[in-house]
Amino acid sequence: MFNIEFNGEFVAFFIFSAIIVCGAVLMISLQKVVHMVISMAGVFLGLAGMFVLLEAEFVAFVQVLIYAGAVSILMIFGIMMTNHQDAGTEKVLPLHEGLAAIGALALFGLLFYAIRTTDFPKPLPFQGGEDNTMKIGQLLYTGYIVPFELLSILLTVAFIGAIAIARRLPEKLDGTAGEDTGIDGGSTEQAVQLQTKEAE
Amino acid sequence: MGAWLNGPMTWGNAVVIFLWGAVFLMIVLGFVTYAIYFERKVIGWMQFRQGPNRVGPLGLLQTVADILKLLIKEDTIPRKADRLLFTLAPILAYVPAFTVLAVIPYTQKLYFADLNVGLLYYVALSGISTLAIVLGGWASNNKYALLGGMRSAAQMISYEVPLVISVVGVILLSGSLNLRDIVEAQSGGWFWNWNFLPQIIGFAVFIIAAVSELNRTPFDLPEAESELVAGYHVEYSGFRFAFFMLTEYVYVYAIAALTTVLFLGGWQAPAPFLEFVPGILWFLLKFAFIVFFLFWIRATFPRIRVDQLMGLGWKVLLPVSLLNVFLTAVYIEVFIKG
Repeated sequence: MFNIEFNGEFVAFFIFSAIIVCGAVLMISLQKVVHMVISMAGVFLGLAGMFVLLEAEFVAFVQVLIYAGAVSILMIFGIMMTNHQDAGTEKVLPLHEGLAAIGALALFGLLFYAIRTTDFPKPLPFQGGEDNTMKIGQLLYTGYIVPFELLSILLTVAFIGAIAIARRLPEKLDGTAGEDTGIDGGSTEQAVQLQTKEAE
Repeated sequence: MGAWLNGPMTWGNAVVIFLWGAVFLMIVLGFVTYAIYFERKVIGWMQFRQGPNRVGPLGLLQTVADILKLLIKEDTIPRKADRLLFTLAPILAYVPAFTVLAVIPYTQKLYFADLNVGLLYYVALSGISTLAIVLGGWASNNKYALLGGMRSAAQMISYEVPLVISVVGVILLSGSLNLRDIVEAQSGGWFWNWNFLPQIIGFAVFIIAAVSELNRTPFDLPEAESELVAGYHVEYSGFRFAFFMLTEYVYVYAIAALTTVLFLGGWQAPAPFLEFVPGILWFLLKFAFIVFFLFWIRATFPRIRVDQLMGLGWKVLLPVSLLNVFLTAVYIEVFIKG
């Protein structure tokens, strides 16, 4: 039934899948926001591992750099500015939970059945090329130059917009620092705010 | 080493790969032990002191004694700390520090992983350590630790940008992200073929940004003891503290090796008549010089102010590194292609 070749690639695939699935489940079930971000960073790392298995090294390490590194740190920064003492204590309804479980199982059954019965065409031997990073670069700067440049303009606009919004804040903030951000006025948070002002 | 990595995954191969990893870990730990000893000794000499000279002959066992002390010290976790993240942070800091070393080529034959995006791999993984430092600072539930963690993250993120852009010139010249190809592109016999002269602007930006990435003097604000007690690791003790220290020194190793590979020609000899000396010796000499240079600036520079730090990163280093990319592209277009 499962004609699986037990080689290094399979072992690696299994480990990365385990990391991704565990990370995703923990992301949903954990109570503290910082813990959630960490488990999500775990998912990003697992995904990067998958890209390495698919011989897409460039995408893999960009994934690590942007998602596991930059996005996670940005989120943690955001979370640290807010109050981290209270954890989510929402009451769950048993009926709702039961229905959700049935729905999830049905979806799993459907997907599993579909995957098992589909007759996949025999894949052609993969030709990643000697240096697919070079190929990506060449494509980006020849065939896809217009979308690439448009995207860079969009990002630059967003970047300048963010700076413009952030620069206006300090004038309003004197005295009444962050009343609406859920900060409990503890000394640590205030110190952190001072720190970020300093950093600017 | 590539033969084992590309071969089929048998138990024998797995054991061989694992043993190589273990041997390399031992080498790195040995480096860290004696890098700390030499740092203290060199700074001592520069300040007309003796440095460590009591434990063992010439004080050679001083670091060993210090490590032993750290290992048998009581391991405390503050009651209000986030236990899980507090224990996770030192591990998360150390693992990327060690894994980035996999792509460093030492000689033509001696390397661990021949990755075609080696440079990107280094940059990407070293970013994870920043995450660990922020987490360590946050999980300690101590305001000095949190401030140190935040400072560290702000500093490491803002200096990573010029660091990466400053090596774009090197990538343009060699046409590859593979660190072995970058060293090969610097061959030519003489030391002026190495990247540090054609890329002198990039080299200067790289060195400044690298020292800042390492959180060392003059950029050691995250652990500025006069302002922050000790920075992000103020609540850590014993073994966990040792891990943060270890991370710092393993990054010294990594940055020194990376500088050697990117700008100082790796294993290439400085002149054609010196090529009888094995490549590994040249690599080690250049590597040792960079490590010494890092100790040297630690002994001679004062600490920069926090507002100057961000200004230097964003207003000076970033435009200069962008200018360097532009100049390199113009140079290649006019002189090499044209």
